[in-house]
Amino acid sequence: MSSLESTIAATAPATAAAVTALGASAEQALGLPDFSSSIYKDAYSRINAIVIEGEQEAHDNYISLGSLIPDQAEELARLARMELKHKKGFTACANNLSVIADMDFAKEFFSPLHGNFQTALAEGKVVTCLLIQAILIEAFAISAYHIYIPVADPFARKITEGVVKDEYTHLNYGQEWLKANLESSREELEQANRVNLPLVRKMLEQVAGDAAVLQMDQEDLMADFMTSYQEALTDIGFTTREIARMATAALLG
Amino acid sequence: MFGLIGHSTSLEQARSKALELGFPEYADGDLDLWCVAPPQLVETFSVTSLTGKTIEGAYIDSVFVPEMLSRFKTARRKVLSAMELAQKSGIDITALGGFTSIIFENFNLLKNQQIRSTALEWERFTTGNTHTAWVIAQQVETNAPALVIDLSLAKVAVVGATGDIGSAVCRWLSQKTGVGELLLVARQPQPLLDLQTELGGGRILSLEEALPEADVVVWVASLPQSLSIDPASLKSPCLMIDGGYPKNLDSKVAGANVHVIKGGIVEFWQDIGWQMMEMAEMENPRRQLFACFAEAMLLEFEGIHTNFSWGRNNITLANMELIGAASLRHGFRSIGLNQAQLPQLAAV
Repeated sequence: MSSLESTIAATAPATAAAVTALGASAEQALGLPDFSSSIYKDAYSRINAIVIEGEQEAHDNYISLGSLIPDQAEELARLARMELKHKKGFTACANNLSVIADMDFAKEFFSPLHGNFQTALAEGKVVTCLLIQAILIEAFAISAYHIYIPVADPFARKITEGVVKDEYTHLNYGQEWLKANLESSREELEQANRVNLPLVRKMLEQVAGDAAVLQMDQEDLMADFMTSYQEALTDIGFTTREIARMATAALLG
Repeated sequence: MFGLIGHSTSLEQARSKALELGFPEYADGDLDLWCVAPPQLVETFSVTSLTGKTIEGAYIDSVFVPEMLSRFKTARRKVLSAMELAQKSGIDITALGGFTSIIFENFNLLKNQQIRSTALEWERFTTGNTHTAWVIAQQVETNAPALVIDLSLAKVAVVGATGDIGSAVCRWLSQKTGVGELLLVARQPQPLLDLQTELGGGRILSLEEALPEADVVVWVASLPQSLSIDPASLKSPCLMIDGGYPKNLDSKVAGANVHVIKGGIVEFWQDIGWQMMEMAEMENPRRQLFACFAEAMLLEFEGIHTNFSWGRNNITLANMELIGAASLRHGFRSIGLNQAQLPQLAAV
């Protein structure tokens, strides 16, 4: 195809200059943030806390899920142990930057999703619990880690690269279970999605400012989440049209 | 299996197509929603060659629209995510259509091989430029005589001569076709001089200088919106091949004895059971498609699973001949002058 500059000029004249400029700047590698600056550390204290709390809750949730699916309890306990290992890794990341994680903020951040999980757990709703923890939270974590890795400090980068590989196995666990039980789970899945996906969007919006300080772009985060989420739902057996309906419900609501 | 990565020509068109395809939520969505939406594998279909061989293909919509061109990160993510989906779907060879290859090339996405957990395998992708260049050269060779233009004497201007497709067309016209004179038009002086040296000829001109002299004009860079062409200043007859993207030349030079052909478009020998070419506003969307898409089909028919067209200025005459022969064998032909114009031509 032809050159971008001339083509853009023909298509969107108002933006042509902007694109040329962006194209040029894209050639320059974006510098990493100043990890020692107070503004970075301040933002990191909340983002890091979210990650630590997320891993702790993931641990607790997988253990709880073991009580609903006793024959899987051992496997779920194994996943839970991995989450604790991740928590330790991310705690080390904060220490490395001499940051104290703001755990109160993180607990508050997770409380709506945490509440929904606990309610579903109390009602014995395996499908809802799996959707919240093994699909939504894992897809959220995977996309956030992917966006974080290129802009992380070298220590955290190495830790996060290790973690993201594990998280795929957790996402996969939820996918496999839901795939095997799709027909009996479909209605509950759609309902749980309707209730919980908007919470994920709110969580993303809530951290957008801090994430931006870490050079994690909100649109990138959302787009990556949507991709991971679509992949998971496709694997479970939903059609692309069903997924579009389920995913956009949160975005348009 | 072959793949095609395409996109809509505007947000408005994309929204109406989404409604038609059963994605009403996307139809309601604004640009921000479209920016974060993942690529979609919209349809799969089979294609049978003139030789009788049948292959399977998939169309992936990158969910990119040209309104996103001003958002570098969005555009980059759209292209890479669509490529990731193609690879994860197990597609062996995928053509990058429309803005996809333009963004890939101009934003130098080769350095973004890792996308999430996927390392993109470049050999699974092709820009399709070799076939496009061959088709454009064919369109010159076949249609000039119909306008009583003798190519061995004609001056042929190539606008965008130093680009990947432009330079390949120049190479073919000077070494295979043997045109009277090549007029080389592009914006940057040094690549033009390099091309002139490589070709061992051709005259470097500005666009304004080249147009009044040219019997044939090959556009492989689309027209700037602000550019206006006075048809009276052009030669009569004048053959124009609109090889840019999007194709908007006919609105600029309508009338007079100027004949515009949509460049780099081919027609298949029979209908293809797909919906997506309607989005590209082809005259016959069941049969017509971009030559770059057809290249992915040809590579699949021929079992050539490699990035046949890749990078800039790597297109050889040998590869153009190879893909051209395959194109004819499997039932593609380049679209030419509108038949309705021909009686009028007889009177010229």
